[in-house]
Amino acid sequence: MSRGYYDYPVVRRPVWTWEVPTYFWLGGMAAGAYVTASLAHNFGSADDRRAAAGGFYVAAAALVPCAPLLIADLGRPERFHHMLRIFKPLSPMNLGAWTLTGFTPIAFARAASHAAGTGLLRGPLAALAGLLPKRLAELAGVGLGLTLAGYSGVLLAATNIPLWAKSKLLGGLFMASALASGSAAVTLQAARRAVPDATLHRLAGLEALASAGEIAILAGYLAQSGRTARPLTSGRFAAPFWLGAVGAGAVLPLLLHRLAAGRHGRTLQSLTIVAALFTMAGSLALRWSIFEAGKDSSQDQAASFELASD
Amino acid sequence: MIDAYKRLMNVEPPPPPKKARGFFTDTSLCIGCKACEVACKQWNQLPADGFAMTGNSYDNTGTLGATTWRHVQFVEQAKANSSRQDQRWLMMSDVCKHCANAACLEACPTGALIRTEFDTVYVQQDICNGCGFCVPACPFGVIDRAPKHGQFEAGTAHKCTLCYDRLKDDMTPACAKSCPTASIQFGDVEELQQRARHRLAELKARGEAKAELYGMPEGKEATEVGQLHAFFLLLDKPQTYNLPEVPGLPRKTMGQRYGWSAAVGLGFALVGALVFGRRQ
Repeated sequence: MSRGYYDYPVVRRPVWTWEVPTYFWLGGMAAGAYVTASLAHNFGSADDRRAAAGGFYVAAAALVPCAPLLIADLGRPERFHHMLRIFKPLSPMNLGAWTLTGFTPIAFARAASHAAGTGLLRGPLAALAGLLPKRLAELAGVGLGLTLAGYSGVLLAATNIPLWAKSKLLGGLFMASALASGSAAVTLQAARRAVPDATLHRLAGLEALASAGEIAILAGYLAQSGRTARPLTSGRFAAPFWLGAVGAGAVLPLLLHRLAAGRHGRTLQSLTIVAALFTMAGSLALRWSIFEAGKDSSQDQAASFELASD
Repeated sequence: MIDAYKRLMNVEPPPPPKKARGFFTDTSLCIGCKACEVACKQWNQLPADGFAMTGNSYDNTGTLGATTWRHVQFVEQAKANSSRQDQRWLMMSDVCKHCANAACLEACPTGALIRTEFDTVYVQQDICNGCGFCVPACPFGVIDRAPKHGQFEAGTAHKCTLCYDRLKDDMTPACAKSCPTASIQFGDVEELQQRARHRLAELKARGEAKAELYGMPEGKEATEVGQLHAFFLLLDKPQTYNLPEVPGLPRKTMGQRYGWSAAVGLGFALVGALVFGRRQ
C-alpha cells in the first residue's frame, strides 16, 4: 500500500450529529415494536394479543420524536419538506423520509384503534379510530416498519466511509438491533402489567432470538470489516461498543433470559424487565458507537485506500 | 391538466443538452502558483478560510471544502543522500471531478444536485436542505456542508460548479482562465481526452515512465464512477495525490446491502409467527 498525500484523509468527515443515531434507535424500536405487536396479534393466543397490543402504543410513542430529530439535523431545517418534493428510492435518505412519512400515521392510527377498543379513547375520535381496518393497517405497517428498521444501516453503508461501507452487513445489523430493541420494548410493557407466564416466555424468547441474531450478524460484520473496524473495536469507542452494545446490550440480556427460562411470577417479570431495559439501551449504544466511530474512520487514509482497492 | 400543473408549479423545460465540458489538469505543467485557488475564490465570492500554517510544504489550504473549490497540492519527494535526479516536487491543482456517475448526485434526496446541460454536477442552492448525505458519499472528499451558523450560504452543500454561470455565457471557468501555464485546460471533454493522450505519449517518450492519466473512460478508476469530467495527468501513482485507486459508487453494492437487511427482517417475521403459532 503506497503512502498518500501527507496523512490527509481521502474522504470528508460526516457532518451529522447525535440526532441521527438517536433517530435510528427510536425509529428502529418503533418499527420493531409494531412488527412484534402485529405478529402477536395475528398469530398469538388471546393472552398474547392482549399482552402485545401495548406494542402499538410503544411504536406510536417512539415515533413522536423521530421527525423532529431528523429535521433538527438538517443544515436548513425549514426546508425539510424538500425531502418529499421527489420520490427517489435510489437515495436511502429519500426512501427513509418517505417511509417515515408513511409509517407514522399508520402507527398512530393503529394505536388509536387499540385505545378505542379498550375504552381508553372515547367519543368521536374513538368512533373514527374504530373504522380502521386492523389487518390492513398491520400488513402495511409491518412492510413500512421493516423498511424503516432496515434502511438506516444501508444509508450509512451507502457512503465511502470505510467503517460503514467495507462490510455488506451493516443494514442487517441495524435491522436485527431494531427488532431486538422493539421486541424488548413490547416485552417490557407486558412484564410490567403482569401477563401470564407463558405469554411472557414467548415474548422474551422472541427478543432473545433477535439478540442472538444480532450477535451473529455483528460477528460477521466485524470479520468482513477486518482492520477497517479498528476505530470501533480499539479506538475511543471501544468501551461503549464492547461493554455497552455487545456486553450489556446483547450478551447480558441473553444470560438473563436464560436465567428466566424456568422461572415464574415475580422473578420472571423482574428478570425480563431488566433484560429488556439492557437490550433497549444496548441498541442505542450500538448505533451511537458505530456512528461516531465512522467519523474517526473517515480520517483514516489507509482504510480509505483499502476500501478503494477492491 | 399537466400544463396547468406546470404553470402552477413554475416548471420550466430543462435547457437543451450541450457538449460535455470539463477540465484536463496536466500536473506536469503546474508550478504551484495557486492563481486558480485565488481566481476561484474571487469569481465565486467564497470567503477566506483563515490563515493557518500546515507545515506541509507550501500547502496551507489543506483540503477541498465548502468554501475551497480548487486546492493546490505540493508533494515533496525528497530522499536524504540521494542524487538530484531523484528529488521531485510534484504540484497538482485538485478540484471536483464531475463524475459521469456521481455518488453525491445519486445520494441527494431532494434533487438539489443535478446534472447540467454541460454534463457537469451542480448543487441548486435554493433546493438543498443540508441533509449532509452527499458529504460522506463522495469518494474523493470534495463536497461539504457549510457550517449551520456561518457567514456563507449557511447549512447547504457546496462544491465546484465548473463555473456554471460562466459556462452559460460561453466563458472559460475562472481557474482555467487564470492558469498561467495551461496546467488547467478547459474545453469539450472528448477533445480534452484526445489532447491528454497525446500529452501522455509525449511525456513517456521523454522518459517520464511513471506518468499516467486519471479519470479516462478506459481507466480502472472509471470502473464505478465512470469517466471523470475533470481528469488529470499525474506523474506518480494516484495515491500519491490522495486519489483512490478505484473510487467507489455506493449504488453498486446497495442491492446486496438491502438484501441482507431484508433477510434479517423477514427471518424475524417468520420466527415470530412460529413462536406465537396460533394458540387459542
